[in-house]
Amino acid sequence: MNNKYKIIILGVTIIIIFILFLKVLNSDKTYQPNQMIGKKLPQFILEDLFNKNTKLDTSVWANKDFIVLNIWASWCVPCQIEHPFLMSLKDKNKINIIGLNYKDESKNAKNFLKKYGNPYSIIGIDKKGEFAILLGAYGVPETYVVEKGKIIFKHIGPINEDVVNKILQLKK
Amino acid sequence: MAGAIGNLALFFSALFNVLLIVYLVKRIKNNDFKNLKIINFFNDSIFFLLLISFIILVYCFVISDFSNVAVYKNSHTTKPLIYKISGAWGNHEGSMVLFILILSLFSFIFARTTIDDKLKFYTVFFQSILIFIFLIFLIFTSNPFDQIDPKPLQGLGLNPILQDPLLAIHPPFLYFGYVGFSLVFSFALAGLATNSFDKSWSKIANFWIILPWSLLTIGIGLGSFWAYYELGWGGYWFWDPVENASLMPWLAATALIHSNIVTYKKDKLHSWTALLSIFTFIMSLLGTFLVRSGVLNSVHAFANDPYRGVYILSAILLISFYSLTIFIIKSPRKNFSGEYSFLQKDNFILINNCFLIFFLSVVLVGTVYPIILDAISGKSISVGPVYYHTILAPFLFVFLFFMSHGPLLSWNKEDKFSQIKNFKIFFPTSVVICLIIIFWLFDYKDITLILGLLFSIYLIVSVIFDWIFQKKLSVNLGRLISHLGFGVLIFSIFVNAYLSKEINTAMKVGDEIKIQEFLIKFKSINKVKKENYDEVFGNFLVTLNDKQVELSPSIRKYDQPVQFTSETSIRSNLITDYYFAINLSEFEKDKIMVRFYYKPLMFWIWLSILLIAFGGIYQTFRIRNEQ
Repeated sequence: MNNKYKIIILGVTIIIIFILFLKVLNSDKTYQPNQMIGKKLPQFILEDLFNKNTKLDTSVWANKDFIVLNIWASWCVPCQIEHPFLMSLKDKNKINIIGLNYKDESKNAKNFLKKYGNPYSIIGIDKKGEFAILLGAYGVPETYVVEKGKIIFKHIGPINEDVVNKILQLKK
Repeated sequence: MAGAIGNLALFFSALFNVLLIVYLVKRIKNNDFKNLKIINFFNDSIFFLLLISFIILVYCFVISDFSNVAVYKNSHTTKPLIYKISGAWGNHEGSMVLFILILSLFSFIFARTTIDDKLKFYTVFFQSILIFIFLIFLIFTSNPFDQIDPKPLQGLGLNPILQDPLLAIHPPFLYFGYVGFSLVFSFALAGLATNSFDKSWSKIANFWIILPWSLLTIGIGLGSFWAYYELGWGGYWFWDPVENASLMPWLAATALIHSNIVTYKKDKLHSWTALLSIFTFIMSLLGTFLVRSGVLNSVHAFANDPYRGVYILSAILLISFYSLTIFIIKSPRKNFSGEYSFLQKDNFILINNCFLIFFLSVVLVGTVYPIILDAISGKSISVGPVYYHTILAPFLFVFLFFMSHGPLLSWNKEDKFSQIKNFKIFFPTSVVICLIIIFWLFDYKDITLILGLLFSIYLIVSVIFDWIFQKKLSVNLGRLISHLGFGVLIFSIFVNAYLSKEINTAMKVGDEIKIQEFLIKFKSINKVKKENYDEVFGNFLVTLNDKQVELSPSIRKYDQPVQFTSETSIRSNLITDYYFAINLSEFEKDKIMVRFYYKPLMFWIWLSILLIAFGGIYQTFRIRNEQ
């Protein structure tokens, strides 16, 4: 190939790279904690806490009308604080709560539920916190409301009376 | 006052730089390459002026001259002296001064070596252009001597996690590496421009490639070591874009070292070596762009002014364009004539060069693709360790295999026989040793782990084998040490990755818990007050198989700016590290969050990185003495 063409190709490539990175530089890079709000629930395969051989596909949850997804762990102290609220959501308001057991020992997790009660319809194990990363979680506990596969609400930290009311409002 | 002198020094260095470039162009036009006195005078003056402005900047930090914007934003009177000094390059403006100073330093040293005048002429010319581009950037967009009036009484302080002795020396090492590659870049362009890209070029280039490569190795190692004990996540490499930014030029330079040897020994691969020389520095610049333009959010991101980003981007692309254009026009075309045989050292080097470029591409895509995708489509994807490990691991094994054999082969076809004999002895030996270790030590039968150990031990055994039967030890010692280090590094990384343990829990004083095989007791807490922070220590006792280890991690509360940091406590021995970190629990006062890590062979990871770098340093000294 002629050198002239090579240099033209090089120049065009460089201009394309320039435009791409210019776009990067001008894009908004401020971190938004709510970035998952309005997005689809990420797809992931989890292990079931009570049945190691069962695999849970999170995309199945996306078919349900209204679910609450709660990230918790037995070692997490605030999880104990919010636990009664989760129990009442399940018992009084018949809300379908799915648990995500985060970086925990299964034995401890089961003991925790034996002691305080089990508010969850299903519990998936996220031993390495991979699904939590996809969810954009900061840590435990965290609670998400998923409506028809779309995340519509997120709360960081233990839930309380106000958050419970908010969730019930969303349900209507 | 000091600031004014600093500013003046910067201004004059830029002026001298322009004069030097104009003068060089004139001489090149006249084809007059004799008498370098005037050029040396300009070159030295630029260096000393930059040195003066750098020293003045450090001085401003030491005396806490808050009329200087950079000092005001990044320092504080209560900061210990060492962090006042390191604060000078712990910010965007200061680090750019250091960047340019090193560009100039390399030019300064290079001009003192005895090489062909014409080649020296051109090298200084290309280096001056680089200095010019970055000086303009410094003076117009990030002047380190900008003033505030009236003078503030106190500064804003340095980010506490950057207040660490290692971080005082980590950036200079990285910069000597990154920026050091500029000289090979200029030298390669000079070689191309003067049509003297040949064996003798390679011989001189060798030193200028290995020196920055060694320093970069140390710089990466220091950064990794800092992340390990300061961040408290128990890891030493996170495939963070900033870490990748330093790894990319390292991979390119590693390929360059090897291809340059082939150019030197066999007088071939000229184009490839020239291209790698250019490419290595472009990778360094890409790293600078990623880190400095504010494209990434990280502890390294200083500059958030979009103009700076656009300028650096334009500068880098301009440099890429002119250098690659020179390469296209002047690319050396030599046909290699000679006998060809597959079992030759240069073939194996070439194969591994391809692998290195492949590794580089994987890292490049993993680093840049998510950023661009996010900007164009708004989609965020996270490219994490899983991506790198699954893609790199299988090829790493093959790479290790060729790396084990390459050095045992000879450059020529003739003495092929002796190598095959070597192969017959060392192949079974290494396989046997490897199998013994795997079946004796591990219950794991994970195929990746087994292959990783197999090939790394294979490499180690081949190096030892080579070492014992080496006839020219002093010539090859540097290579042997670095290769040995690499083998030990990969071995340690694999063991560490598969046998590490992690415990996350919440505890209060007096608690005793047993998780996995560890018994952890939270004995007590105590408080200490220091000059610029308060510190709370938690005292823990960890028991594993009758072995007891005391650990005291802490949480620091810094005053300026107010920020909490978690200080790890690590007990290390030859076999394993016990690693403890604590965090405040946001929700309950009496318990704290506890993270305990059991990390095998960490010591060997650090040692092997030192070995790799040391091999390079030894080699540079040997080359120096030889010349």
